[in-house]
Amino acid sequence: MVLAVYPAFGTGYGVRAMLQIFMWIALAGSWNLISGLTGYVSFGHVAFFGAGAYTGAILIAKAGWPWLSAALAGGVGACAVALVIGYPCLRLKGPYFAIAMLGLNEVLRALVSYFEGLTGGGSGLSLPTLHATVPIYYAMAGTAATVTLLTYLIITSRFGLRLMTIREDELAAEAMGIDTARHKLYAFLLSAVGPGIAGALAARDQGYIEPMSVFPLATTITMIVMVLFGGKGTVWGPVLGAVVLFVSQEFVWARFPYVHQLLFGAIIVAVVLLMPRGVLGLLQIKYRLPRTI
Amino acid sequence: MATPVLEIDGLSKRFGGVTAVDRVSLSLEPGRIYGLIGPNGSGKTTLFNCITGIERCQAGRVSFNGERIDGLKPYEIARKGIGRTFQVIRVFPELSALENLLVVTRGGLAEAEARALELLRFVKLEGLRNEYAGNLSYGQQKLVEFVRVLMRDPTLILLDEPAAGVNRTLLNDLLDAVRRLRDRGKTVLLVEHDMKVVMGLCETVFVLDHGEKIAEGEPGVIQTDERVIEAYFGR
Repeated sequence: MVLAVYPAFGTGYGVRAMLQIFMWIALAGSWNLISGLTGYVSFGHVAFFGAGAYTGAILIAKAGWPWLSAALAGGVGACAVALVIGYPCLRLKGPYFAIAMLGLNEVLRALVSYFEGLTGGGSGLSLPTLHATVPIYYAMAGTAATVTLLTYLIITSRFGLRLMTIREDELAAEAMGIDTARHKLYAFLLSAVGPGIAGALAARDQGYIEPMSVFPLATTITMIVMVLFGGKGTVWGPVLGAVVLFVSQEFVWARFPYVHQLLFGAIIVAVVLLMPRGVLGLLQIKYRLPRTI
Repeated sequence: MATPVLEIDGLSKRFGGVTAVDRVSLSLEPGRIYGLIGPNGSGKTTLFNCITGIERCQAGRVSFNGERIDGLKPYEIARKGIGRTFQVIRVFPELSALENLLVVTRGGLAEAEARALELLRFVKLEGLRNEYAGNLSYGQQKLVEFVRVLMRDPTLILLDEPAAGVNRTLLNDLLDAVRRLRDRGKTVLLVEHDMKVVMGLCETVFVLDHGEKIAEGEPGVIQTDERVIEAYFGR
């Protein structure tokens, strides 16, 4: 409720910051769907954000699509990339999958830089001016809510439990009759949609994109840290991680520029060493909380 | 004679220069308990892996109820009705005991839950159903793994060292359970080092040595077979 009426009285900065938080919830929540549940760590998840951003931006700038349909198309575009790349890459195990995903991101960045006619190449792509921050705020909030709801539905279903068996013991899952390849692919496809839509919305909001701005490795790292902090494989972990890390980053950034990266690094080290399951993961195990958290 | 449940014909599996399973042929009839024994490294687990599709055999064929299954994926073989446990426990540690069973089946959740609870009650673990499987004792995890196999109601059950690490009381329950499965027409093939278990439970025993089947017969006969004695104790 508060979030729904916030744009009416919030400051310009406040609305923009909330928009960013929604974006991070959508990104972290999506990463959690594939990596938190199946244990297949994607090190190139920003590739789907970038794919969505370019799909959306091209449709808006070159085909004159309205931004909302372009955003949905961004989700479809990212999903299509996931389908092409997921089929071969999900056969890879452990670090090899992580590296392949890292490679995918670099390949996509190179591709959009190369096809200048369509993407503007390295000099980027400008979108027609449009003041739509508030509607985009709602669209991004809807994306974040949808990703979280989807996570809830998956985690509380047997489909979600089967995804976790892949993380727990993939060979045993296969021997129990679980079609692990198909399950991984479904999770991967679902995990690409959110970033695709978020990417297209972010592109519309910023009005200008270029390869370096929508395919940064740092974005993937941030999603991972948010999920690890909040609790991988939980419903609310990515939400908690996105809010806490974004807010603390903004505070530190405002007061001590340059220090925020140091802080971020320190958080990564602390989380991995002290609570590898994240805040909610730790609480879940300690207090036997149900999977609905 | 009924059609064999499982028929293995000339199965071979090599790892580089090592022949783990060497032209093994055997046939299992429905409603019987079979033992598979042999010294360490004689290829028992590899044979299990070849039957269940985890390893691909290089030669030979495996038929299940008259249908070829070699070359199928592990999950396809499991769905046809072959269940197995592992030598090293492979429960899903961060899933509860109940969830470990629930993931196996499709269809109605209520039905699956009823069946899972019935199976947990059967091994006296219903009180621990919400405990993470990884927190259970070794023997309890073994029982979870055993009843997880039964969720699909398989025709053929492969047990890889079911007795190892399980205390006597639990073990007797487990062996009773195996006998009851047999009485219901299921076929069981078990790898076991505990000879008391093998001799007391199995109707037919296969002996592997260096990947080759060196003997087959009733437990009493196997015990006096010269090649078997030689394989275990040397000449």
